[in-house]
Formats: sequence, structure tokens, C-alpha cells
Amino acid sequence: MKRQYKKIAALAGSLLLAGFFSFAIAAGPAAQPAAEAAPAGYDEDVYGPAAPILWNKPVKGVIFTHKTHTMDMGLSCDACHDELFEMMAGAAEEKADFTMESLYAGKYCGACHDGSMAFASNTRCTTCHIGVKGMKRMSGGTKAATPAH
Amino acid sequence: MKISDWEKSKNEGVDNLPSGERRRFLQFGLAVTGVFLGGSVLSLTSARNAQGMMGPVPPAGKFPYKPHYTMVMRQNRCIDCERCMEACVKTNNVPSYGYRTTILEQVRSLGENQTERVFMPVLCNHCNRPPCVRVCPTTATYKDKTNGIVMMDYKRCIGCKTCMTACPYNARYFKEENRAIDKCNFCIDTRLAQGEKKTACAAACPAQVRIFGDLTDSSSEAYKLIHRPEKVVWVLRPETGAMPNVFYMND
Repeated sequence: MKRQYKKIAALAGSLLLAGFFSFAIAAGPAAQPAAEAAPAGYDEDVYGPAAPILWNKPVKGVIFTHKTHTMDMGLSCDACHDELFEMMAGAAEEKADFTMESLYAGKYCGACHDGSMAFASNTRCTTCHIGVKGMKRMSGGTKAATPAH
Repeated sequence: MKISDWEKSKNEGVDNLPSGERRRFLQFGLAVTGVFLGGSVLSLTSARNAQGMMGPVPPAGKFPYKPHYTMVMRQNRCIDCERCMEACVKTNNVPSYGYRTTILEQVRSLGENQTERVFMPVLCNHCNRPPCVRVCPTTATYKDKTNGIVMMDYKRCIGCKTCMTACPYNARYFKEENRAIDKCNFCIDTRLAQGEKKTACAAACPAQVRIFGDLTDSSSEAYKLIHRPEKVVWVLRPETGAMPNVFYMND
């Protein structure tokens, strides 16, 4: 009787250990790429820079991606350049009127994001405002939050 | 005598039992019945008035403090620029390893591979029934009798961290420099005592997410916001019964 118990215990123990190791291996290489890589066929000369543009003025953590607007939405370069935005990255955020008030008045992003052409500037804030957390994530810091429910 | 031996013995019957023995048996039976009956009667009466139906906002005129400080969060306006956190750190000398207020992030599913990011500013809720105050062994943390702010007396704090465990909102940290627990106090010492009307975080917010105010003043913005009939107002973790004073809503 006792020997049988020992055998069963040993079997259970080895199974547990095996399970633990397989879990540890599965959980190991779960690191995700920090930023979304540009898809195949993305031509920077046609669609603009692949790397997203991050603004930190006047508030931290605002994102703009060329791909969403050019490749996905079909806008051409001259839809925004150089009338709404200068070509040089970061030029807009140096201007004093680069504020939400200006956007509501139809300047910068607000030229299209007016509620009829694209979602209005005073709605869906967190689509562009990824926040300090979002920025840290892009630079490969913390893990992305997953849908809670 | 073992039970197996009892089983073998002959049944004595009840004819020869003394009446005292019968009485004791009956009394025991009645006592058991009484306990069960009493319990079921008690379970039919509610312990306290149910508040869930009325929402988390107490009815006007029933705020226990004056001024009754509150903060209303217009959650969907928050963009996690973290200016509030920077202002709090600067004003209240908060070390890098702790926080008095922070921003939480949630991703809400909108279906069809669509998600929405939600930022949620959190801080001490200055509860009407604060679990942290209840568990403090040295009364180092207490409710201010006038304005209801949950205060800290650093000199009394022994650093046992029981309040940290009790707080449903994770709003406390151990400050090494003070050798005591530190937490949000609505800037009572750093700003309100100097005549400022807003906390540092509320003043720093560029999107007017945090509205600091007094619930006993019906003309204050905070009061008006949470008493709009068309708006849903909620608090965090209402099930703890702590009756928090930080209210959340969407603009």
C-alpha cells in the first residue's frame, strides 16, 4: 500500500514540475514590439515617414501617424502640407496657437477633424492623446493595457 | 465506554427517566429552535437603509461636514498629460517612489477590433466612513472634524502600514523621509490654508478634468456637476461601503 502511494506521489510531483516548466517556457518570450512596424508596401516617399510623430507641447503624449491618414485614408501630401503643417517634424508644436482652441476654430488637425469630414476635435480625446503612459510604452517601457471587459 | 459498547447494551426505555432529565432535554430543544427562529426573524430586517437605488451622491443637506470637500472627475476628458501629478509632486514634496495621486489606464472594447483608451485619475477619496481611520492603532490618521479631510499626524504614525492595506483605493504610501505614511490631504496645508481655492492637481489640469469644490455650497461647480439630472455619476468601489467623496462622470 505505502509503496503505491509513494509511486503516485512521485508521478504527481513530476507532472507538476513538467507543467511548471512548460508554463515558464510559454510565458518567456512574450515581449511585443514597442511600436507598430510599417507594413509591407509602405513607401515613405509616397505615404510620409513611417515613424509616428509625437508631440509634447502644449501637453505631453499626443501621437500622429502618417500611415493612418495617407495609406489608409487616401490623403495626399498636399492635403496638409504646407498649408496646415510645415514639412519639418515638430514645427507645429513650437507655435503658440497649436492648441485645442485653434483646432476647434478649424486650424491644424481641426481643418478635417470637424465632425463632418473626420471625428470632431472635441470628441474621442484618447485617440490621439495617448498620454505619458502611451509614450513610455512606445519607447519600449511598460506593457500595453488589455481590454478589461 | 465506547460507542460500540453502547450499541450492545439494552434499551432502557423512557419510562424510568427522571423528570429533571426530560425537562433538560426539552429545554435544550427549545433553545435550539429559539436560536434558529430568532436568526430568521433578524435576517428579515435590513441592517441599514439601502443606498444603491439613489446612487452614490448623498441627498442634499445630508453632507456631514462644512465645508464638505469633494472632487468631481470628468473622466473622459483626461488625456494622461500628467500635469496634475507633476504639480502634486512639486507642491507636496512627493518622492519618486510614491504618489498622492496617479492616473490609471483602461482599454475598453468597442467591439469589432475597436478599442477605446480610458484614463482614470485617482487619489484619496476622503471617505465618510474611512477604513484606514478605523484600523489605525495610534489614531495617526483621522477625519478632520470640520471639513472631513482624511488627515495624517506624522508624529503619531508608527509606520505599521495597516492603513495602506485597509484603503480600498491604494491611496497611501510609506514616505521614508518622514518615517510615516503620506497621502493626499486636498492640499489643505500647502494651498487651501494659503487662501487658494483649488488643489494643486485641479489647478494644473489643462482639460478641467478635476473639479475641486464644496458640496455644502450649492452654487459651486462641483455641486452642480453631480446634481445634473441627465448625468450618471459613479464612485470607485462603492461595495466597500466607505462612502467616498470623489465622484466620477463623463462630460
